[in-house]
Amino acid sequence: MMTASSPAVPRTAPAMRPMKRIAAYGQEFILLGAIVALFVVVSFVNPRFLGANNISNIFAGNAYIAVAAIGMSLVIISGHIDVAVGSLIGVLATISGTLAVNGYPIWLAWLVPVLVGIVVNAGVGALIAYLRIPSIVVTLGMLSILKGGLISVTAGAWITNLPADYLIAQFRLFGIPSPVWFMVILTALVAFWMRYSGFGRTIYAIGGNVEAARVAGIQVERSTVIVFAIHGAFAGIAAVLFATQLQVIQSTVPPNLELTVITASVVGGVSILGGTGTVIGSTLAAILFAAIASSLIFLNVSAYWLRSVQGLLILITVLADMARRRRLR
Amino acid sequence: MQPILALEGVSKSFAGVKALKDVSFDVRPGEVHALMGENGAGKSTLIKVIAGVHAPDSGEIRVNGELVRFATPREARAAGIATVYQELLLFPELSVAENIYLGHAPRMTMNALDWTKMRDGARRLLDDLDSHDLDVDARVGSLSVANRQRVEIAKALSQDARVLIMDEPTAALSDTDARRLMDVVRRLRDRGVAIVYVSHRMPEIFALATRVTVLRDGAYVGTRDIGDITEADLVSMMVGRPVDQLFPKTDAEIGAPVLELRNIAYRDEVEDISFTIRAGEIVGIAGLIGSGRTELALTIFGITPATSGEILLDGKPVRITDPKQARDLGIAYVPEDRGLQGLIKPQTIRENLSLALLDRISTATIVDRAKESRLARELIQRFGIRARGPEQLVKQLSGGNQQKVVLAKWVATEPRVLIMDEPTRGIDVGAKAEIHALMSRLAGQGLAVLMISSELPEVLGMSDRVLVMNNGRIVAEFDRAEATPDSVGTAMMQSQTLPEVA
Amino acid sequence: MTATLRSLLRHETILAILLVLVLAALATQSDRFFTTANLLNQGRLMAEVGLVALVMTFVIVTGGIDLSVGSILGLTAILLGVFWHNLGLPLPVAMVLAIVAAGIGGLINGLIITRFKVPPLIATLATLALYRGLAEGISQARSVRGYPEWFFVLGQGEVLGVPTQLWILGALVVIAAVVLGLTTFGRATYATGANETGARFSGIGVDRTKLLIYTASGLVAGLAGVIFVSRVSTTRSDMGTGLELDVITAVVLGGTSIFGGRGTIIGTVLGLILMQALKNGLALSGVKGDGTIVVIGLVLILAIVASNLFSREGDG
Repeated sequence: MMTASSPAVPRTAPAMRPMKRIAAYGQEFILLGAIVALFVVVSFVNPRFLGANNISNIFAGNAYIAVAAIGMSLVIISGHIDVAVGSLIGVLATISGTLAVNGYPIWLAWLVPVLVGIVVNAGVGALIAYLRIPSIVVTLGMLSILKGGLISVTAGAWITNLPADYLIAQFRLFGIPSPVWFMVILTALVAFWMRYSGFGRTIYAIGGNVEAARVAGIQVERSTVIVFAIHGAFAGIAAVLFATQLQVIQSTVPPNLELTVITASVVGGVSILGGTGTVIGSTLAAILFAAIASSLIFLNVSAYWLRSVQGLLILITVLADMARRRRLR
Repeated sequence: MQPILALEGVSKSFAGVKALKDVSFDVRPGEVHALMGENGAGKSTLIKVIAGVHAPDSGEIRVNGELVRFATPREARAAGIATVYQELLLFPELSVAENIYLGHAPRMTMNALDWTKMRDGARRLLDDLDSHDLDVDARVGSLSVANRQRVEIAKALSQDARVLIMDEPTAALSDTDARRLMDVVRRLRDRGVAIVYVSHRMPEIFALATRVTVLRDGAYVGTRDIGDITEADLVSMMVGRPVDQLFPKTDAEIGAPVLELRNIAYRDEVEDISFTIRAGEIVGIAGLIGSGRTELALTIFGITPATSGEILLDGKPVRITDPKQARDLGIAYVPEDRGLQGLIKPQTIRENLSLALLDRISTATIVDRAKESRLARELIQRFGIRARGPEQLVKQLSGGNQQKVVLAKWVATEPRVLIMDEPTRGIDVGAKAEIHALMSRLAGQGLAVLMISSELPEVLGMSDRVLVMNNGRIVAEFDRAEATPDSVGTAMMQSQTLPEVA
Repeated sequence: MTATLRSLLRHETILAILLVLVLAALATQSDRFFTTANLLNQGRLMAEVGLVALVMTFVIVTGGIDLSVGSILGLTAILLGVFWHNLGLPLPVAMVLAIVAAGIGGLINGLIITRFKVPPLIATLATLALYRGLAEGISQARSVRGYPEWFFVLGQGEVLGVPTQLWILGALVVIAAVVLGLTTFGRATYATGANETGARFSGIGVDRTKLLIYTASGLVAGLAGVIFVSRVSTTRSDMGTGLELDVITAVVLGGTSIFGGRGTIIGTVLGLILMQALKNGLALSGVKGDGTIVVIGLVLILAIVASNLFSREGDG
């Protein structure tokens, strides 16, 4: 403790800057390294892993998870959690597909899910912020409302005959599938916004120290509602990408989706105690997780082990986060 | 010169209890105005009224002669009043620069935060505070307390504060850091900032302040120029009555040694502590906040078990690694933070009183409710706890009665050693006297009492022996006869010349 | 009578009145509802959630939560099948081992929470994935059938005309009510939830209390898993999915504060019966299974809103 304040310590030398940068984005570099290592090792064992189809599947097929994880990261950074996001995406995807096959303009089929996502989650945020109900309870309730509601309305029927110009996830730009563009652009935008906007920093402040945020004059309740609304918008975009991936929409909740999204955020370095993390990390973690899922197949490991890998990943990351905090204390 | 900030006849009550009674106070540019008073005298409330956290019930606040009424801390800040609280309000995960500018960061085009300007500005502010070694990109959570404090001060200055309120800024600092901080305060004063300075440390007050205002029990006692007053005058203004009269210390028969510590240490917070307490004896521990007093108590009680040294109880060595063991050995601890550590506030008086001795009033782990109620009623009567009955919730009681519940709960365990940490903090004068009388009575019954207090008069009035702690060590020991405000006060505040640091 | 006791009684009284109203409404709606056969059958269906909810009451009273119970139930079911079918152990031994494994799962939760100070929500969210993943990985989507006839007594049989598992539930209700309401352990549980630091400073073994409770949570989830297998005559890895939702809803509906420090077993039992009655009533009036999930989600949110409004009033 004394060393930091002792006058004998010289000013940080400029030469240390790059190292510090790396330290500041530690989790992102670790994830990047892990992704590269995974690709090298798995493709060494089974070269077909690097096939164009598989690569496209890993990146484009899982981009919607990364997009949803952006919103989830904001929620977790602000000190909350949402376990209903998977159900919400299921509902929004069904809404989107239903609009598309019933002759509504395509742009409406793309826009309405985003708007519904905003409205629903703003409501969830309001319950959490103004009635002081823990987010886990509200979203646990929402999970069953959305999931049960969806299945009892659709009876799990498939939506088929989707118009070709609706399938936005199958569009390509410069040969790269549109979900990848969405993932990259949205991640970059939000990363930039989180760093350079006043509201972005507000989210960190609320998650880091609510009381100090209040004293600093931040409107905590209103900000919480906005964070959830933004999260709803990203769930809407994710839902459209998910709905337009295939020629049909299975109007159920993608199994286990909320856990995958939370895993991406947490493993991406978003501390579960709030106040820290970046969306670049969560996107990298989503890619890593997709790559792990894919590599299990190429390594001839049963995909049934995937979920335990997921659980272990969360556990290890959280334990590391707790250890880091204890060291700092 | 016209005062930049002036309060006139300000009063404030909380739930019917008067925290401030008709207080007047002003501060001029380029002045350090010290605010003094015992714990609970109303200093914190006064600060919070100025900072816009509490609105006064009556009275006027003027800034530059203009009447103001702050509804939020933000409005006070806009008027140029910044506060550095004792519990620093920072964001541990954000960088130094960002903490300084949160809420009023410099912007670029499209309203984007200008990080370069933010970092440069933070650098300049910190350089101004002579903190060249503090990295603007460091996470605040990784900084020492002294550095966090500098960040808070830089934050206040970044908003062009014309009035800076500092609440016990040196309380948690080492001596070197405290001196550096005082340099900073002087520099700000010379730049024309008006500084309201709250501190218990007399040397600091005399080194920095132009004037000093004393509060007592929420009331305004007086304002003096620092040149017109001595330390002794200040103490008597703060205490308001002769020390002896206040404390009903009766002489108890001092018996055999009960608790003996031999070279006890806990990490670097408590070092090389050796002393003995005998039956019937009250040993007072004096020392500033951060001197290791509470840490010592926590070590004896097993919350932070000793890392080296030996504890003897009735001459037999014992190992204490958790509070349960300490309790079973007959050591009781009436903690510093009543609300957090002492009580289960949402529960009833009965449940609180029995919590430390559940094993004794249960058969085969089933709690005997009749026995429990009887015990609660007995204790309520014996300790004079003013309550509707054993089933009243503890959170509904006044501070003094809550403290009696904590004391009663521990005395009911029939301990051999009773450790009391700040036994009368934040309770009114009447309840204080009752607690002191109880303490005397318990010592008379043969308990060994170890009392920790920030209030010098309390230590001097109640103790048979006074140990003074400084920097985790016992630096002086006085008999009741030798212990005077001068001798003990000097030992408490003396420069900490530790061989390791030099 | 005290203020707390009164307010607690008030919540339970409201719940009891609500329950009577719901039962009366259901009885008039459908003449199939108030038959002994239906009621006993509902009790049978309620037993697994009920068992887990009893210990969950302790968990939530300490201020924690256990989201992994459904996964532990599924893992137990799979392990039971593996121990008996694949390893060829005698079924009683397999049952005991599976339940012990469930207890270890709970103990791991407790260790992560007490030793590493991970918030219970996140710790058990991670183990929810981990334990379900282990169940899926071990079973590889294969189910085990063909259990001996005697085994079905547990889940499908009756003792003195009452379903076997209801006896077990009843016995555990009594034990849980006594432990939480009357013993020193119960006091430690309440004190821990109301003010953990205060409890520790009073010489309460806070970590030990939590460790025991999370282990017990795993154990009863395991017991519920064995009963589940016996009731449906097969093991599958998705057993108990979403169980945590029903359990937490029942407990919160029963008046246990999600912030800890308050709650009773009687409340949980009432909450449990109310929930099962709602499910049954909805089913009888033609609402399909998924529709009832919606109602449960709504009830959970409304119950918390109501209890929050109540407690804020009380704090004032």
